Amino acid sequence: MNEIPMFAVLFLFPVISSLPVALAWIYRPGEDWARKLPYLSVFGLFVSLLISLNILFNFEEGFYSYPWIEDFNINFVFVVDYLSKYMGALTAFIAFLIGVYGLEYMRDDYRLGWYWFFFNTFTASMLLVVYSDNLFTLLIGWEGLGIASWGLIGHWFRDDDDIAFVGTQGRKVGPLEMSWSPSTGGWRAISTIRFGDMPMFFAIAAIYALTGNLDIHSIPWEGMFEEIGYVGTVALLLLFLMGPFTKSAQLPFSEWLMTAMTGPTTVSALLHSATMVAAGTYLFMRLTWYIEPWELNIPGLETIYLLVLFLGLISALYGASVALGLRERKVLLAASTMSSLGLMFASSAASFWVGEAALIVAFWYLIVHAFAKASLFLVAGHLIHATHDRFCSGNLAFARKMKVAFAVTILATISLAGIPPFTAYWIKSGMDGVMEHLVADGMLLPFYLLVIVSLIYSAFLAKFLSLNFLKGEAPHHEHTEGGQLMKLAYTLMVSMQIVLLAIILLHYEEHASHFVEEGFLTTSLTVGILVTASYLIVLFKPAVPAFSRIGVFLTDRMYLPFLNDYILPQIGWVVIRVVDACNRGVDFFFHTAIPSAFEALSRAIRSIQKGYLRVYMKIVAGSIMLFLVIFSLMGW
Amino acid sequence: MTEILLMASVVLLTLGAAFSLKDARIGFVASVISAVLAVTSLEPEMYFFGALILVIGLLNIITLYLSDNQIKGIDYAIVAMLIFATVLVIQSTNLAVLIGTFVLVSVPTYVLVMLSENDVKLEVGIKYITFMVFATVIFIIGTFLLVYSHSNMNPTLYVIGYVLLILGLGLEVGIAPLHEWVPDVFSAADPIPVSIIASIAKFVPFIVAFKLIIATANPVTSSITMFVAFLAVLSMFAGNIGALTSREPGRVLGYSTVANMGYALSAFVAVVNFDLIYLAIAGVLMQLFANSAGKIGFFTAIKDRGVGTPFTYTFALSFIGMPPLMGFWSKLFIVLALVYSGYMWLAVLLVINSAISVPYYIRLAKELGEGWGYGVVNLVALIAAIFILMTVYPPDWFLQSVKGIVGTFVVAGV
Repeated sequence: MNEIPMFAVLFLFPVISSLPVALAWIYRPGEDWARKLPYLSVFGLFVSLLISLNILFNFEEGFYSYPWIEDFNINFVFVVDYLSKYMGALTAFIAFLIGVYGLEYMRDDYRLGWYWFFFNTFTASMLLVVYSDNLFTLLIGWEGLGIASWGLIGHWFRDDDDIAFVGTQGRKVGPLEMSWSPSTGGWRAISTIRFGDMPMFFAIAAIYALTGNLDIHSIPWEGMFEEIGYVGTVALLLLFLMGPFTKSAQLPFSEWLMTAMTGPTTVSALLHSATMVAAGTYLFMRLTWYIEPWELNIPGLETIYLLVLFLGLISALYGASVALGLRERKVLLAASTMSSLGLMFASSAASFWVGEAALIVAFWYLIVHAFAKASLFLVAGHLIHATHDRFCSGNLAFARKMKVAFAVTILATISLAGIPPFTAYWIKSGMDGVMEHLVADGMLLPFYLLVIVSLIYSAFLAKFLSLNFLKGEAPHHEHTEGGQLMKLAYTLMVSMQIVLLAIILLHYEEHASHFVEEGFLTTSLTVGILVTASYLIVLFKPAVPAFSRIGVFLTDRMYLPFLNDYILPQIGWVVIRVVDACNRGVDFFFHTAIPSAFEALSRAIRSIQKGYLRVYMKIVAGSIMLFLVIFSLMGW
Repeated sequence: MTEILLMASVVLLTLGAAFSLKDARIGFVASVISAVLAVTSLEPEMYFFGALILVIGLLNIITLYLSDNQIKGIDYAIVAMLIFATVLVIQSTNLAVLIGTFVLVSVPTYVLVMLSENDVKLEVGIKYITFMVFATVIFIIGTFLLVYSHSNMNPTLYVIGYVLLILGLGLEVGIAPLHEWVPDVFSAADPIPVSIIASIAKFVPFIVAFKLIIATANPVTSSITMFVAFLAVLSMFAGNIGALTSREPGRVLGYSTVANMGYALSAFVAVVNFDLIYLAIAGVLMQLFANSAGKIGFFTAIKDRGVGTPFTYTFALSFIGMPPLMGFWSKLFIVLALVYSGYMWLAVLLVINSAISVPYYIRLAKELGEGWGYGVVNLVALIAAIFILMTVYPPDWFLQSVKGIVGTFVVAGV
């Protein structure tokens, strides 16, 4: 039972350690001593890191439970398995490194209490999601992610600094201004996420109602799916997956992630690349891991996995294309994150046909992507600090002043693009293998989509590198001194690519060593060469003026913002008008119809009061006669 | 002993009336003593009823004392006579006596209704008397048909007798669709005599009718109760909705009486259930007490503006049926009797009607109330309010007392 207190410390300590700065900021905002309290918060993250490493190396795989609401079979159940032990360590490690980076990046901010409280609450929530086997505790962590995300995206709530905006202020397309403030970004995030969370909540309730069990590993999935039939299975999983789809910004719920870039860069790096958005795919992987759909013969599952496969691939294609057109550093990376999440979903879903191996590929891609993307975000943050510009800018002269950032960007992009023999190449080879397996099953499209996505992906990574360090405009403003903590953080972050590469190539991990075999297959090598070519071409030709119209179309994210900002509000207005009409109807019914009906009735009743006795006598005699006749007939 | 006390009561009120020609105060004192004597003639288990009747009767006498009329002094004796009849009807099981009390409580009000401080209200009197004569005739015909058919086992005659009895009752107390005199008389006559007609004079007809119906109840009764339910509903709705748009307070109270008589009449459907008949009787009696106290209070306020707002609101809330006022308990007893007898829908309609009545009672309370209430008229209002507030202590005692006298709700020889 020693494990349970350790889990408790893991979840609670980051939150508790952020309370001093949060409280200090309420009563003494901005004082010098209060500005030192974030070190305590980062210490809390460090403690979590130590515990998660302890879990990774010393805990036995299995389930650790502690009674909570035993009468309802709802308990604290924590899982240590292949997925959670790596994911937990990754989360805690990245959170700690970004915490260190944040000490410098956020040093002069006006709302440190808010920032650190939500940052640490986020980390704790994410760890709770990662280690929870019980869907109820998982849901608590899940909601924690949502609220922390809202708090952090809207951190610069004053909306007074263009550097925190997304889009171009003043640029209008039709009725929409293509510009979003931090507070709008926060609202778009929480509203989209809640839109998915509610169906997920009901799906969890349905699972509980059907099985009386909420522990993912022991829910009798097969029996449940057979009980509710095809329609029931599809409906239940669709409701459930609305949570992961919105959280991981799959189409058509991707807009919130783009405008989430109004938050501080640290937030983008932690929440919107490595962890929170990955939580959706992680949850899908975790469910698949225990449902083992490849072992079952449930038609409903095939429908759902097919849907996830294509939704993932199409989202990946959309995200990559949009990233290719974008010029805003962070928004470009956000779109690329969406693309990667799509690939994770697609690869996980392919496990239905391919088996557990596809899940391993997806999970490894999650890990590699998390470190690489977090590195790129941290670099982007440093660049924004240094140039005071959120759009890509920088040339070779600038790169010389930012050597570390330049080097880290090169390493991160080539590691992530899938250029042989760097880290992601081996994973992508695994993914190629998975999609080829589908080709053997008669599905050609996924493989071609994957190749196209890979090429575009590689291209925009090269574009990011080129426009920021090689062939971009000279920055209008340069502030390249300092930043030692930031450099340290992203250097450590990117160095994980080398660690991962070593693990793969040196066969430290049995699942990963399988990727090496895939990497030497002809298909993988061909794709690798194409990807490299794409990377190199774009590196030397990052912008093609002839394609500027397409670029604008992509920069405007294919006009998907209209869904969030125009179509949905219009629907909202329709709902409002309907409600208003109903309101008026109710008002009319109670304030006009009923009173006037009663008034008319009342006047009718009073109208017999003529005052004439002969009228009254007629009424009385008539009534009495009428009653007597009626009852005489009845009595007959 | 009972007979002696009743005799003494009658003699005293007659002498009082005679000597009041010399001095009206003699009539006052004699009437009060006569009323007390009449009440003391009751058996101990009926004292609760006598005591409550005495309060209502004395309130009537006091309100008469506060204003002038053409027969000052004799009017007290008339009220004493009404008290006497009411005391007699509760203890008697004799058919002749019961019919006698019905006439005794009806005829003196012919005189009362015409009285006022200035001129004799002849037109009101004619209207009222015509209705009352009609009522008495039909009621008595109904009574005899009921009794006759009961001994001869003739269902057709029983039904006609039952219908005539109820219609006679309806004419007498003002139940729709035979209520036409009520709004006219209540708004045109002097408020004080009207308050007497609206209060103490209502008990006898209901008690006589109840006794006759219980005594002659047979398997056919349950098939005819729907008629009573129909009249009750009609009366509630006609009364409450009619009151909504009426402006004159007297007219509003007239419609209120129509509604209240509907509530009381609805309890008659419970006769099909002998085990719970005490609940119905308790409901009717308490409804009549609550109605009496409220009507006396409101009419006093119409007569002499200056009754305090707290009092008028007490009356209004009691009429609406706000716990723990008397009007709540009376309706609760009736509703329980209805529900236990299987007339759920009637109970629901009764409650809906209480809701419909809210606006006009509150309006009355607002219009008639003035200030905090000082002076002699407020003594009447205070007593009426205390009477209504009596049920702050839950009136289980009333229910138990009625249970004790339910055996007297028969007619000897029937």
